[in-house]
Amino acid sequence: MSESDPPVVLIVEDEPDVAETYRLWLVEDYEVRTAENGDEGLDLLDEAVDVVLLDRMMPGLSGDEVLDRIRDEDLDCRIAMVTAVEPDFDILELGFDAYLSKPIKSDQLRETVRNLLERSEYDTLLQEYYAKVEKQATLEASKTRAELSDSEEYRRLTDNIDELRTELSDTLGGIEDDEDFIATIRGLGDVDGT
Amino acid sequence: MNDLPEVLDVEAAAAVDPGTSLLVSGPAMAGKSDVVRSILASGLRNGEGAVCVTTGGTTADVIADLEARVDDLVESHVAVVDCRERDSPDGDAAPEGAHVHHVGAPSDLTGIGIGITRSFERLHQCGVDRGYLSLDSLSTMLTYTDRKAVFKFCHVLSSRLDQAEFLGLFSVDTSAHDDRTVQVIKQAFDGMIEIRERDGDREARLRGVEPNPSDWVAV
Repeated sequence: MSESDPPVVLIVEDEPDVAETYRLWLVEDYEVRTAENGDEGLDLLDEAVDVVLLDRMMPGLSGDEVLDRIRDEDLDCRIAMVTAVEPDFDILELGFDAYLSKPIKSDQLRETVRNLLERSEYDTLLQEYYAKVEKQATLEASKTRAELSDSEEYRRLTDNIDELRTELSDTLGGIEDDEDFIATIRGLGDVDGT
Repeated sequence: MNDLPEVLDVEAAAAVDPGTSLLVSGPAMAGKSDVVRSILASGLRNGEGAVCVTTGGTTADVIADLEARVDDLVESHVAVVDCRERDSPDGDAAPEGAHVHHVGAPSDLTGIGIGITRSFERLHQCGVDRGYLSLDSLSTMLTYTDRKAVFKFCHVLSSRLDQAEFLGLFSVDTSAHDDRTVQVIKQAFDGMIEIRERDGDREARLRGVEPNPSDWVAV
């Protein structure tokens, strides 16, 4: 997700009216793609997609099957599953990042998308933080204390790390409940849950 | 209330907020687990909860150790997340009263996260809203999972602990890793308790809570 382009949301929903309603709610802030079924959804899915809104019950490929395919391909997107009823399953154990029960209200949908994007941002920041911390540790291992205190690069890096640390603790508003916590762990880049 | 000063008698220990996450570092056999369990025991004596994430000791060992330290231990204030690597999921019978959650392997970070979440839920149902979480040890996790993943996991977990107001104590064996690994991992935490042995005595100091490290004190 770059600074200038709006985030991309993919809606996979077999009822055209419903898909259009979601699209209208989101189109002001996001680039929206819509797919009428699971196969089409997978076709429209690429690296640019940040959030997928996935209907669980669809003719053809079900939402669960689409979810499995997306996870298998290791794409770095967040998935909100849309269900017709309150889920009767243990949501923490499943591979999606959020769920919404129909009927969905506009505020609720936007809030969910915003929340998922915030989690992606946290992951991106954490990635950056880790890279800087690694670099700092490498410098510390290879230079003397005197060399470090003279090094402009080291000073910049240390300042940078402090800033990122603050930014990260601000972004943590994204972890509001257990569901967020588990989804964040599951979504940690190359963290493998197996 | 903070039970840390009961074990680690330095001024800075009183300034540690609930919800802080600390790395407990020291060489093998320096007594890291002992120090951590002493802190957990103080908390339990004061009516707080303990969540023990174990990669080595069995659930029964963990509970027995706490029982030996705390008179009339209230088992329902203890939760164990057992993520030992093993062939079959049985092994030991769960001690009565304590909450036990089994995770398949120390590399299953999502599973460990779910176990911790369940532990908080169960403790909460038993009226416990504050306490300590120990993870013993990160060194084992680092042998199964790469450093970056462990680092990120620690960061996310410490933010969860911050919200839950549980104080986190994460052990790392400094003799099992190069200096760089410890340097990197420590940045996922708010501070650290360093443990060493000097002339047969065990000493500890607290870093990262105040600008300068505390003095070394006997523990």
